[in-house]
Amino acid sequence: MLQLLLNALALGASYALLALGFVLILNATSAVNFAHGDVVMLGGYTAIALHALLQWPGAFLLPLVLAVMALLGLVFSLGAYFPLKDRPPVSVFISTIALGIVFQNATNAIAGAEPRKGPALFGEGQVNFGNVAIGEQAMAIIGAAALLIAGQHLLFRYTGLGRRLRATAQDRQMAEAVGISVNRMIGLTFAIGAGLAGAAGLMLANTFFASPTDGSNYILKAYIAVTIGGWGNLYGAVCGAMFIALFEVLYPSLPILVPLLKSTTPWLFSQTMSSILLYVGLLAIMFFRPQGLFGEAIQKRV
Amino acid sequence: MSPSHCLRRVGTGLCVALLSSSALSQAEIGLPVLVPVTGFLSLEGTSQRNGALLAIRNAPNSIKISAPVTDTGASPEGASTALERALARGKVTAVVASMLGPQMLAMMPIALENKVPLATVSGTADLTERKNPYVFRFFPGDATAKAAHVRYVVEDMQKKRIALVYQTTAYGQGGRAQIVEQLKKAGLAPVMEEALEVQVKDMSAVIGKVQQSNPDVVMLHLHGGPSALFLKQAAASRITVPIITGSALGQPSTAALLEPAELKNVCAETNAAPIASGNGPEMEEFTQKFRAEFKTEPDGFAVGQYDAVGMILDAVQKGATTPEAVTRYLSSGSYQGLAMKYKSDGKGNMAHSAIIICYDGNSRVPKIAKRYN
Repeated sequence: MLQLLLNALALGASYALLALGFVLILNATSAVNFAHGDVVMLGGYTAIALHALLQWPGAFLLPLVLAVMALLGLVFSLGAYFPLKDRPPVSVFISTIALGIVFQNATNAIAGAEPRKGPALFGEGQVNFGNVAIGEQAMAIIGAAALLIAGQHLLFRYTGLGRRLRATAQDRQMAEAVGISVNRMIGLTFAIGAGLAGAAGLMLANTFFASPTDGSNYILKAYIAVTIGGWGNLYGAVCGAMFIALFEVLYPSLPILVPLLKSTTPWLFSQTMSSILLYVGLLAIMFFRPQGLFGEAIQKRV
Repeated sequence: MSPSHCLRRVGTGLCVALLSSSALSQAEIGLPVLVPVTGFLSLEGTSQRNGALLAIRNAPNSIKISAPVTDTGASPEGASTALERALARGKVTAVVASMLGPQMLAMMPIALENKVPLATVSGTADLTERKNPYVFRFFPGDATAKAAHVRYVVEDMQKKRIALVYQTTAYGQGGRAQIVEQLKKAGLAPVMEEALEVQVKDMSAVIGKVQQSNPDVVMLHLHGGPSALFLKQAAASRITVPIITGSALGQPSTAALLEPAELKNVCAETNAAPIASGNGPEMEEFTQKFRAEFKTEPDGFAVGQYDAVGMILDAVQKGATTPEAVTRYLSSGSYQGLAMKYKSDGKGNMAHSAIIICYDGNSRVPKIAKRYN
């Protein structure tokens, strides 16, 4: 049980970083960044490339990956957002889809199609607690993600920069009226979002490998997490991500956890049924609580 | 006319005659390579492309080959459009066709209409059950591969409590049906079965269920990435029973994702394992050439497609330069390739052998443990 829970939490922590970056950009620009999953994938490949170059463990590479990906986020905003920001919103998300495909195919061309394994944060061994073996990487992911999420919270909550970023996300016109450089804040948000996505990529690339086509799966997780948590709500996105991971791991494990369920029909607790129920649940939330479980964003989404 | 002038004219005449005869004897064929180089099957598709290209680059000088490569992506429309464009562009003698089953299904009616043979390494069982005389599969179909998979588990390992984990895709379901059928013939049924979507990353739940069912062997029929994920997480969960996987693990890039210790007690079924110990000199030469050309390790798909192109070129060398003649040759002839001897069973299944490779837990280089013909 402890092992399953820890695996689910580690998965959820990575999803949370990914969802957090996604919702930061969503709030700042009112546009969905469909390339966000591909940015996660690029984070994984950046970690792999840096590891090949420096031979450092993942934990030491993390600040480098954050920096490289933040720079990429900035460049991404210059290519996919700023030139189109005054056009209809559809232009921005089409441009993000296009850049996502560019990232995917460029990675395929440069690094090859085969999956790659990223560096572990500290090690890949197991720590034994009695009969239970806990993976070092799973524990490290939870710790690193918690630090990054806490750092993001402190930045947004208690610093002047954070207040300006929040003001931009809440009302761009008003922020501009009070003298905030909105474009600079939006660029910075892209940098933070891409940095967090890159960190998620580093963590996922060791446990689950990295391949050029991973992005589409990750963007789907971010989208569901944000819908469950509340469209535009930062902490809702984190909770939504945790919920998805816990559900994905624990629901199919119920016959193992609850002996009474062992004799039920196997398909009822299969991975396939788990996916079906997750998406049915998502539909139910959209029908009965469209603002998500944790409220509604202030800005109107177009 | 001076004697030297005369000699020059005679020499020129001889050269022209020689060049003309050479040009006349050089067969020209169109062999478009339509494979998925991007998308979720890009790894296998790239291998397939490389195998075909190596055979084309090593073709006899007497054959002039036009072999444009087109990426079919991952959609059936991508494949059918690629084939239609190739046919519209000009002479097509045969086609190196996608290994992705749904793409093959989209290309097959076009091939039938245009009477052009498709040479593929797709394992999807249904392809050769549709009575299309233009489909030729140079990779053991599920019926052959899964028979070997089950025979190794049941006859050689003498296992009876089998846990089966497969993919929800057409590939996974087709393979699962064959495994269950073969087990039934042996009077067995899996003690546990679970299907996994390709996107599933955390396999704790299914591994827990495998452990709960107390099997004496685990059979996998998963794609490359999921196979590696399962093996990595199974090793972390201390599953000690043998795990016998499908052909995905035969790809060196899949094994490269795992530590040698994670491969302990692991075997796989495949058509060929070029990097395995125990291969003959021809396979070793192929492996060296492949590494030099593409800077990567070859796998069974590359060998299968290399042999497929080899058989087409053999047909051309024997005078079959039209699509109809190549089709006739593939339907009725036989060819000794690198991996095995190929001959159609009347449905287009050319490969009837499979091998089992096993890892010793100390390296990622497998050994050939068993060969089934």
